[in-house]
Parts: sequence; structure tokens; C-alpha cells
Amino acid sequence: MNFLLIAALVAQVETAPPPPGPPREPHLPTPVERTLKNGLRVIVVQKGDVPLVDARLLIKTGGEADPPNLSGLADMTASLLTKGTKTRSAVQIARGVEALGATLENGAMWDASFVTINVASSNLPKALGYLADVVQNPLFAKDEIERLRAQNLDALQVSMHQPGDLARFVAARVLFGVAPYGHNLGGTPESLPRITQIDILAFHKRYYRPKNSILVFGGDITPENAFALAEKLFGGWSGGPPSSAASPRGTAALHKIVVIDMPEAGQAAVVVTRPGIRRVDPAYSIAQVTNSILGGGYSSRLNEEIRIKRGLSYGAGSAFDLRRDIGPFVASAQTKNESAVQVADLMLGEMKKLTNEPVADVEMGPRKAVLIGNFGRSLESIDSLVSRISFLALYGLSLDEINRYISLIQSVNAPQVEQFATTHLGSDSDVIIVGDAKKFADALKQRFPNAEVIPFAELDLESPTLRKH
Amino acid sequence: MAIHVWYHVGSKDDPSGRSGFAHLFEHMMFKSTAHMKAEMMDRLTEDVGGYNNAQTGDDTTFYYEELPSNYLQTLLWAEADRMGSLNVDEANFKSEREVVKEEFRTSVLAQPYGLFGYDIDKDSFAVHPYKRPTIGSIEDLDSATLADVQKFHATYYRPDNATLVVAGDFDPQQLDSWIDKYLGAVPKPDTPIPRVDVKEPPRSASKTITETAPNVPLPAVALTWLAPPRSSADRWPLQIAAVILAQGESSRLYQSLVYRQQIAQDVGAEADLREDAGIYVINATVASGKTVDAVKKAIDAELRDIEQKPVSEGELQKAKNQIITDQLRRRETNDGKAFAIGNAATLLHDAAEVNNGLKKLQAVTAADVQRVMDKYLKNGKSLTIDYESK
Repeated sequence: MNFLLIAALVAQVETAPPPPGPPREPHLPTPVERTLKNGLRVIVVQKGDVPLVDARLLIKTGGEADPPNLSGLADMTASLLTKGTKTRSAVQIARGVEALGATLENGAMWDASFVTINVASSNLPKALGYLADVVQNPLFAKDEIERLRAQNLDALQVSMHQPGDLARFVAARVLFGVAPYGHNLGGTPESLPRITQIDILAFHKRYYRPKNSILVFGGDITPENAFALAEKLFGGWSGGPPSSAASPRGTAALHKIVVIDMPEAGQAAVVVTRPGIRRVDPAYSIAQVTNSILGGGYSSRLNEEIRIKRGLSYGAGSAFDLRRDIGPFVASAQTKNESAVQVADLMLGEMKKLTNEPVADVEMGPRKAVLIGNFGRSLESIDSLVSRISFLALYGLSLDEINRYISLIQSVNAPQVEQFATTHLGSDSDVIIVGDAKKFADALKQRFPNAEVIPFAELDLESPTLRKH
Repeated sequence: MAIHVWYHVGSKDDPSGRSGFAHLFEHMMFKSTAHMKAEMMDRLTEDVGGYNNAQTGDDTTFYYEELPSNYLQTLLWAEADRMGSLNVDEANFKSEREVVKEEFRTSVLAQPYGLFGYDIDKDSFAVHPYKRPTIGSIEDLDSATLADVQKFHATYYRPDNATLVVAGDFDPQQLDSWIDKYLGAVPKPDTPIPRVDVKEPPRSASKTITETAPNVPLPAVALTWLAPPRSSADRWPLQIAAVILAQGESSRLYQSLVYRQQIAQDVGAEADLREDAGIYVINATVASGKTVDAVKKAIDAELRDIEQKPVSEGELQKAKNQIITDQLRRRETNDGKAFAIGNAATLLHDAAEVNNGLKKLQAVTAADVQRVMDKYLKNGKSLTIDYESK
């Protein structure tokens, strides 16, 4: 063995991480679009590395259009689309779609209702035929309505026994009161029984129109093939623009502390909420960076303080729920009942800190990298790619935002974050805790003497007071 | 790109009286090592736009990073560093143990059906350590010590018990040289790797038990049978049967229980095949106003049917299409590809199973499906767990 070889064998491995190599340029797909004669906007993003296609039809109306006493109407309508058309029963639809290995998903969100199909590209024409049929020719048969109503009521019972879900339902009502954004998208035990076939048919007729819709294809398909399929399957769809619905946010109530007492809850859910911003707000990228620092991702401040430093939760985080109108900012965590008040206090403290202490570059850089990394990964699978494009289209934003996202995030600076936080994360947030209240009664009295404690058995999600009468 | 390191150790290897330890240990792998301070993995991944996490199962624990490809060398160094040494202090250990206890509360106690999943493991196995759920118990977590952490690392975290998978944009020659340099430098201990050799005995009789939890809005029921290990040739027929029974709205149990009779809120079937043994699980949540007995009767009727008549060619093909398209979706990303390879290499001892397995799936016949339903369900002994509110 010669000397050099021995030297190589005994060479020590570095005691500090080796630095990265030169970065590679990410490849971003370019969306192309066309509008059919009937007004349907069709967008295609070709990405051919896996033989799959994701196609999503968005109706630009969702749960915000539920009438005040009919919470859950948009979701019931969208969910029933696949339960029978003029030519196919619910069973035939399920069997046909599943035989293609496809998944067909449908429901309502805020601002939109959707039907999505994800399928091997060779089976797309057949699969898209099902999607087109359920959107244009749904039957809304009475027995299907009853079946879904019973299932939704049971599912709601289950959600209402999960502290995390229930805290979010309550938070929406506390923040938005009787305005549309205050209700639960899936309805309430009181509202679901009131929804009739007539309501559903009317909702479909009013909003499910080509001029109120967007069809987005992503994956292994050429734009020419996608446009031809869209023309063939949706070209005959008719109907003018829908009349618009009322403002969904009303006036927010602030500085309320509400506790839902759920005896024997295995953990407490803590939510801090305030009004956020619209998706189209010019401060969008500042909001993204601000939230990334505060509560977006593992090493964000909320998770750092609540989980990493103190072991109080499996995970704490926050998000701006971006909608057409001003949606909520929500910070949330689950913790043992005993530490619920401490967690709420830590959340409020971190929000306040952002308003009066500038963020250093050593923190800002990594938190921007988190956003840019998440963005890059979201383009890796076609369902999240299609989802991202759909939301840009839904809010009338330029589709080339996906090519500008990285520079938008990079350009945000510390004074912008501080100013944004001062306006949007300052004092007077609402605090909602769902948990076993006797285990945090003393801490609650001390920290939040004005808290209103509502027993679970007396909770009414329909009422702005949240109490049954 | 994605980097995965799979260790052939899981919750079945939890030390005695320390259920949940393998998972608690997994959390410690993000604390200090010889050359990294606590949470440095996050600095090397999250701070540059990457992502990292880990997952503990019954038989394996894997650690993974998704990150820009120019960080490959950095992360190979880091994975080698935490494989070679772990240097957790008491304060970090105790704080992270509290996090795991919160994870237990979130996944088991705070959800109406969290304890149900826990009970299915606990009650289905008589003697095999699979009976101890991966998340463990608060008491056992509290009794774990820092000394246990060091011992577990020395016993199982070693190159001859690990599989590295890299997927994405890299130069193979460059990768090989880095692997040699960093992971090749981690010493291989002389001690043997302990393996669980407990054999789960056949069940002597079918039985029914009741489990309870607070705040359960609707009762639920699970039926379990003992099933073969994951390496068994019966794996694919059992999985196809599970898809035919309960995957999607056109599946048999969904059609009967949820759609036609409307006695269940949801229904599932799973061939949960692990390294040493498996269980076949059918579970359902009872719809409000309906009875557990009606649900059990309907499940029984569907099982008699699939045992007595071969499934149709159309149903068989539908199930295969569902499984294959689902696999395509899972393998869209670098991380999905690395997961499939790591799983096959560690649990089936052959990375090529990621593709060969799908060929085996294609070859399954209706007679195969009928045969495995006979063998494991009809001729097996069932455990029925009734789950209800306390």
C-alpha cells in the first residue's frame, strides 16, 4: 500500500457540514389557456413525467353563497353531483370511475365548488366524460339527498367531538358573527335538516354555468388535446353569468375569549383568530413571509416556543386563510388541558412581538426559503399544481404569478413585515379554547377574566351567541 | 430531490416496559450529535427551502429529506453523522418526551376514534410485540431514560441495519464517492443485531370484546383475523380482496352497508401485513339510530358471498386498476419513489419489488382471491371489537 492511499484511508471526515454545490435552476411549467364560446375558461399545464392527468372544474361560487339559514347548501349541492345524472345512477358513476382507476372528488370550499378527476392519461377521455356529465346533468334525486343528509349529520357529530375541528367552527362564528364566513361549510345539525331539493336545484341552476366556471388540466396531456376534449364535452353547456351574492364577511367581532367546556376532552384545542387579508391584496407576499416567520413550518416562532422549547404541543402553527373577501387569520395548537391558557398566551405574545421587534435577516432568509421550497415541491405532483393554478384563476390573478412567486417572496423586507404585523396581528384578537375547562379554570380566570365559558351541551353553532335558547 | 435512510428497527423492537420507545427515539435523532447541535437538521433542510421528517412503524423507522439537489453532499454528511453518534442532553430529552406525550394525546386521546385504532393492535395480537401500539403509553414514555436512548442507538443505528435511498437529480459517480466518504466511514459494530423471534400462535377460538372511550358520538366495530407476513405470496390477493370489499363507493361493503342499507357511516378493509405477521381488519362506524348487530350481520353476509363465489373478471380488473393508479400517484414525486424503494428494500429485502410486486398483482386470479378469503377469514378465528362511548 503506498503512502497516498494510506493517507486517503485515514483522512478524517469533516466535523462541519460540507457547503452546498451551485444551485440548479428550477423548471416551471407554463400554463396556456383558451375560452370556449359559452364562456368556459380552459387552462392547461402540460407536465409529462408521469402518465397521469388531473382535471378540475371550478364553479366560482361556494359556501359564501349559502343563505343564512341553509348552512351547507353549497357543499350538499356539490357533493350530490356524483349521486346520479339523467343517464347514470350513483352506483354506475362510482363503478365506472373506479373501473378506470380514477378518483372523482367533489365538494364546496369558500368561493368555489369543485369536481376533480385524477386518472391515468390513457383513460382521461372516458373519465372526463363522467366529470362533464355530473356537472351538467345532475339529478339531485330525493333519496340521494336524504342519504347524504344523514351521512353529513353523522359526520358533523364526529367533527364536533374533535376539539380541533370544533374550535375552528366556533372561531368562525365568533369572528364573523351572522355573516356568511361565520358559518360552517359543512352545515350545522340545525341547518342540514332544512335544506330541500328545491334549494339544491335552485343553487345548481343559479351558479353552475360555463361563464361562472374554470376548467384546469394538468399533467400528461397536450394543450391541443385538452382544448379538443373540453370543446367536445363542455361546448354544449349553456347559461349566462350568475347574479352575485352579498358580502360574505360582515363586521368582525374582536377581543372575545370563548371557552367550550367539553368534559373529558383528551386534549384542549387553542385557536387565536383575527381578520386577515383578501387573496388579491397587494400585501399577499408580505403576509406569506410574515406568517412563515410566525407560524408557517416547523421552525416558525409558534412551533419553536410551544413545541420545541416547551414541549407543550405536537405542533403549533398559523395561516392566513385567503379568500375573495377578507378571511380569517388563524393560529392553532392542541395541548394537554392543563396548559391551554399558557399556549394561548404564548400565541398572543408571539403575534405582539412581531409588531414591535424588527425581524433580523438571519431569520428572514430561512423563512423565505421555506416558502420557496414549499412552492417548488407543490409543483411536483399534478394535483397540487392544478390546485395552485386553479386558485390563481379563481381570484382573477395572472397565471404567470407561478413564474414570479420566487421573486415576489424574495423582495419582502423587514420594515414591511413589521408594518404588516402592526396592522394585521396587533391587539384585540379572539381566543377560542375547546377542552376540559375544570383543568384550566384558575389559569383562565387569571389571564382572561372576561372569558365566556359555554358548556358543550349548550353549544349552538347557528347562533351568534353560540348558545341554545 | 429526496434522501431516505431506512433503519430496520421499529416499535416491535421497543425494549420491555418501554412501549413507544422506538418512536420516542426517532424524535431524539433530531437533537445533538457529535458534530450537530439540536435541530441542526432543520437548519440544513428547512432553512434552505427543504423539508425533513421521520416516521416510525412496527418494523422500520425512516428519516427523510426533500431538498434542492445541490445540498446532497451536505445531507449525506449529516445522515452519516447521526448514524455514527447521538449526544442528547437531559433537558432536550425531557422536553421532547413531553412533545411525544402531546402527540399521543393528539392522535389517541383527542379523537373520538383514536383509541379504537390503538385497541385494534392491542387486542389483535396475543403475544407478538405488535400488540404494543407504536405510540406507546404515557406511563412507559415517562419511564424511559437517557441511558435507554444511548443503548438503543448503539444497538440498532448502524450501517448494517440501514438502507439509503436517493431519488432525483444527481450524478451517480459523484454520489457513490460521497457515500463512500461519509456513510462508508461509519463503523460497523461487531455485536449482532437483536431480532424479535416471537411467533404469534394461531387463535384457538373466535371472540367478541368491548372497548370504550369518552366522547364517542357513534359506536364502531372492528373484525380482525390473523394474516400472513408481508413477504407472503398471498399478499396481493389479500390486498385485492380488501379493495373489492371496501375501497371506493362501488366496493361491496360500501354498497351494502353505507349505500343500500344505510346502517354504517363508513366502512374499511385492510390487509395490514407486517414483517413477522399480519392482521386483516374490517371496520365500520355505525350510523346513528342503527345497531352494531345489523352492521355485523351485513359484514358477515358480504364475507360469505366473497368466500363462496369467485369475484367477477370486471371487479378483479377494477381493483387492479385502482391499486396501480394509486401507486402511480404515490410515485409522482421523488419522495414517493424513495419511499416505495426504501419500504421494499427493508421489509421485503429486495428494492426491485417496487416493480415486480405490480407484476405479481397483475397475475392474481379470481380463484386466488377466493382461496385467501377461505384460508384466512373463513377458516380463521375472528376477533370482534365493539367500540362505544364510556
